Amino acid sequence: MRFSRTLTLTLFIIAALLIAFDRPDARPGFLVAVRSAVTDTAAPLLDLTARPLRGIGNIGPYWQRQHELAVENAELQEQLTETRYWRDLALRLRDERDIYREALNLTPASEQERIGAWVLADPTGPFVRSRLVGAGSGRGVGEGDPVLNVYGLVGHVVEVGQRSSRVLLLTDLNSRVPVMADRSNARAVLTGDNTNFPRLDYLGRDADLQEGDRIVTSGDDGILPRGLPVGTAALDRNGRWRVRLFSDNAPVDFVWVLPYDRLPTPEEEPAASADAPGAIAGEVNSEPAPGGEETGTIATAEDGE
Amino acid sequence: MRAPIERRPPYGLAIWCAVTLLLALLVYATPARLTRSTDLMPLLPLITLFIWSTIRPYFIPPIVIFIVGLLQDLLTGGPMGIWAFAYLLSLTIMRVRKEDATTRDMGPLWFRFVATTAIAVVVAWIAGSLANGSPAPVQPMAIEAAASILMFPLIALISVRKRQSRGAFG
Repeated sequence: MRFSRTLTLTLFIIAALLIAFDRPDARPGFLVAVRSAVTDTAAPLLDLTARPLRGIGNIGPYWQRQHELAVENAELQEQLTETRYWRDLALRLRDERDIYREALNLTPASEQERIGAWVLADPTGPFVRSRLVGAGSGRGVGEGDPVLNVYGLVGHVVEVGQRSSRVLLLTDLNSRVPVMADRSNARAVLTGDNTNFPRLDYLGRDADLQEGDRIVTSGDDGILPRGLPVGTAALDRNGRWRVRLFSDNAPVDFVWVLPYDRLPTPEEEPAASADAPGAIAGEVNSEPAPGGEETGTIATAEDGE
Repeated sequence: MRAPIERRPPYGLAIWCAVTLLLALLVYATPARLTRSTDLMPLLPLITLFIWSTIRPYFIPPIVIFIVGLLQDLLTGGPMGIWAFAYLLSLTIMRVRKEDATTRDMGPLWFRFVATTAIAVVVAWIAGSLANGSPAPVQPMAIEAAASILMFPLIALISVRKRQSRGAFG
């Protein structure tokens, strides 16, 4: 059986050109559109395929875990009791915070609804670690929105279709997220390297970081909000800081997308319409105190760099 | 006088070929988690392409290989062209010239599949590393290749059985 050599050669050339131009960091607009259209079309089919496969996949673990369930149940009851105490405390603190905000005339940071979505596909190949989720621009998902599961940050949206979106995981080679230690505010950049434990890069020489420190997003890039739970700091064999992700505590089956309106830069929103003092949202920046322009740097000029 | 035997074009088989390729792609990209330790899947699209190119070579022209590879890239969210290029190259080099090899020669056929997978995986690794601008991890690719090689005889045997039971395909 012989096929046209010209056609074969042409296909080789097209494939090579695609490899050369479809770079994850600088993808041409028309390729982004093609990718979104294909994933949008495939999303319902993938969902349909996933249902029976999920069922098959759960049979083994279900029987394996039967004897563990009683123990787990007892632990959960204990945790629930503990959580009730924390819930009451959180509610009390929220009330206090509202009173302080009112007294200080602070504009609260935007608290928007979460968009729940099922994961339709989770290819974990050698080149990319991403998830395809069943919610797109039709439900308010936007590019760059953070994505969380029950335990913590999973990644952020990199491609948006009408009905589906692709989420780049924190472990992906191309993922870079500014983070900080909750305890000391030491800043770093969480860098994915296709392992399960992303690295902490650009950490200062004398950074105040300890094993087990809780790592959260710092919001320094203005793309992700501040304070989203990421994981705990851990040292690897080579003495390099890495993060044990909270989101790894459970399979990423169901996620929440947080629609987040990133802070516009001065170039994007010039001060011409400065007659609306609370226009730029942010707890520190919007404080109408004298010299308030300078206080805006407090949030980003922490130690640890 | 006996009427000449009319041989109908195997449209049904062609549709079945398209369906199996589509299913292979969907299952490969779906969160199956059949094992707890790893969520990597065998390269089902490659297995399916290889088997069909053995049973019915004219069902798998280069354009079909290209489309399957490209869809795999798109469904898995990887850079476009990687698997399209890898499948085109490996299947063009290792294509079974002689039809009807599956029924008799499982050993050589498996060996040929091992070589096809090795070429595809190495090419994909190089292309993926170039596209990402840094070397791709070797372990996941090795696991996928090993899983594909181990699963191939099972899928090939099922295909052969099905084919032999129908009898008149050859």
